[in-house]
Amino acid sequence: MGIAAAATMLFGVTACSTGPATSGEEAGPNESITIDYLHRLPDGEGMTKVADIIAEWNTAHPDVQVTATKFDGKAAEMLTKLKADVKAGSVSCLAQLGYSEVPTMYTEGMLENVTDLAQGYVDNFSAGAVALMTVNGETVGLPQDTGPLVYYYNAAEFERLGLTVPTTADELAAATTAAAAAGKYAVAFQPDEAQYWLSGQTAAAGAAWFTAEDGKWSVDVSDAGTAKVASFWQGLIDTKSTLVANRWGDEFKQALVDQTLIGTIGAAWEAPLLAGDMAGSANEGQWAVVELPTFGATQMTGPDGGSGVAVMKGCAHPAEAMDFNNWFNTQIDPLVSQGLVVAAKGAMTTPDSIKSFYGGQDVFSVLAAANESLSPDFIYIPGFPAVNGDMVKAADAAGQGTAPVMDIFTAAQTSAIAALTSAGLPVAK
Amino acid sequence: MSTLTRPTAPERLVTEQRAQANRRRRRREGRIGWGFFAPFAILFVLTFVIPILVSIRSSFFTEKAAGDSLYGGGGMVETFAFLDNYAQVLGNATFWEGMGRVLLFGAFQIPVMLGGALILALLLDSFIVRRVAFFRLSYFLPYAIPGVIAALVWTYIFSPGLSPINQTLGSISEWLTGLLGNNVDLTIDFFAPGTIIASMATMTTWTFMGYNMLIFLAALQAIPHDLYEAARLDGAGEFDIVRRIKVPMVGQATLLAVLLSIIGTVQLFNEPTVLAAVNPWMGNDYTPMMLAYSSMMGTTSPSGAGPASAVSISMAVIAGILAAIFALVQKRSTR
Repeated sequence: MGIAAAATMLFGVTACSTGPATSGEEAGPNESITIDYLHRLPDGEGMTKVADIIAEWNTAHPDVQVTATKFDGKAAEMLTKLKADVKAGSVSCLAQLGYSEVPTMYTEGMLENVTDLAQGYVDNFSAGAVALMTVNGETVGLPQDTGPLVYYYNAAEFERLGLTVPTTADELAAATTAAAAAGKYAVAFQPDEAQYWLSGQTAAAGAAWFTAEDGKWSVDVSDAGTAKVASFWQGLIDTKSTLVANRWGDEFKQALVDQTLIGTIGAAWEAPLLAGDMAGSANEGQWAVVELPTFGATQMTGPDGGSGVAVMKGCAHPAEAMDFNNWFNTQIDPLVSQGLVVAAKGAMTTPDSIKSFYGGQDVFSVLAAANESLSPDFIYIPGFPAVNGDMVKAADAAGQGTAPVMDIFTAAQTSAIAALTSAGLPVAK
Repeated sequence: MSTLTRPTAPERLVTEQRAQANRRRRRREGRIGWGFFAPFAILFVLTFVIPILVSIRSSFFTEKAAGDSLYGGGGMVETFAFLDNYAQVLGNATFWEGMGRVLLFGAFQIPVMLGGALILALLLDSFIVRRVAFFRLSYFLPYAIPGVIAALVWTYIFSPGLSPINQTLGSISEWLTGLLGNNVDLTIDFFAPGTIIASMATMTTWTFMGYNMLIFLAALQAIPHDLYEAARLDGAGEFDIVRRIKVPMVGQATLLAVLLSIIGTVQLFNEPTVLAAVNPWMGNDYTPMMLAYSSMMGTTSPSGAGPASAVSISMAVIAGILAAIFALVQKRSTR
């Protein structure tokens, strides 16, 4: 009984993942081909729906019909589904992958090499983002959006407390300490987001945890940038100047709404989410966004999320798929309405709802500028998703004050080496 | 005379024909029997036997990158690892910590839940309660609510800022503080590392008590009522009947309920997963089942179907050993 239940649990994963098989059909001269596209876009209220964007393509291209399916589970579950589908030969031609997941999927042999097909399109996208869709010199798809870290703050409260808008980490720490004296928090330490949020900050400080050394992976968190981020948060946690709250918990949202939390380091894609969290509160029209205060010597930020659309292994029509991929990801306005900071080149217009929340600011011009200053050195290893659990646990302990912040990064190092070793990849000792 | 001792030729023919007809009927019945068995057998093999075999096979393999360059060789190769995955599981402190947690959980939760279920069943089986059907359904109702939904509801009840329990306890504390002069705080942190197991135990007890009550109630209602009459004639009161007839007679049902609970406990997943979403310190490997799931999803190392299967099968073996020990102990004590 026990074995059975445990085994069906495992088997169930494969069993429930047989998606529609359409990518394998060969098109005759007058027949149309079908491209499947699996995504995790929000498709929320007031956004231009993915289905509507694609309907436009389908009308213009009767011979290449695209079917989009939204995956409602977690990112890790989507990867497992895609792997099972590739093995079963029924995978969607195109799938949304987080940049940090691309190396993992590449190593597992789940992606098509579309370097040649991509040549005609890559110039439509920012070079940094294209690099994130390129592994081992092979381009596997096109970028969709990026998640550079920026700093959001309540400008009205800052003015009331006489705080200056910080441009460096030290100024941010000073502003946070001053705000704390007035019972407010100018930043929040977010244990649940530790993996990307903190690694992004170390990237902004100039860290590159993962580098190649004589054909082997070198994993090292003992650099000055990582130490800077650790000491920044350690100081604020020790003096209780920062709010410690999970990004996706009720406490965080509550603190925003009642204006205890008047600033936060967040990814670019949080702009509409923060506005949504505080909709209908006194915060409307009071917030503003600036580029991330510098943690290192120059104006640089780090990645916190962002994804591209990859061509999955076994896609029967990679050329048509890439043609659509390029078209879809250059539909700037509809994608911006989905809350994305697009990777495509071209001006983004800040939607009115966001503009009014941020006091009329042209939010997307700041986000686009942040995009330009993304660290080019911070890359992800295959197996990076497996590093999450240990980092979050360590971050929670650090937030409680029971362990030093640096432990989070040590945990990341140990966990990353374990992930590489487990996948049979070479690690420099 | 001779007709009695030796059958005539026509008679022999008749017997022969009868025997043939019998054989035919038996064959037909056999076919019908197999026909009735087939739907079960096919489903059993497809959904039970094959997954178990696949899982056992996969637990002896690992997936390694096909090449030894930085990003492997653009694919994974399945390599026979024999017992490596099991050695990994048995040497994994996280696995044993998780196992320790679920066993600690079970040691308290199972007796409380089954004791409560037995008391509820005895009450419904007694003459005290009218409208048995209504109570039976209401006790069973929590089991009908999907586990994740129930866990979400409980998360709200336990959540530090929103807990209605803590709001009540908070007002009582304030009142007591005013009364006694020194600071009284009765509020409970349901999510603290020391209390979260108790919080989960409360959630599962609420869900499964009614379910186990049904098992006991069915056993109680199967007891012939003339036993009670005989006992009453001998001067036994209602409590004597409960103690000397009803409780001993539900022994088999208790065995079933305990075995199911042990297996359920070792596989504890829904409650800790939902709680871990709001308590990141729990991680994604708080219980062995969560470890298996995370291995499968690639969110912990080592990852993949092989390590995940090894965790699952180790769990099953441990649950099996525990169940066997309990069955043996019960057999000894009733003998």
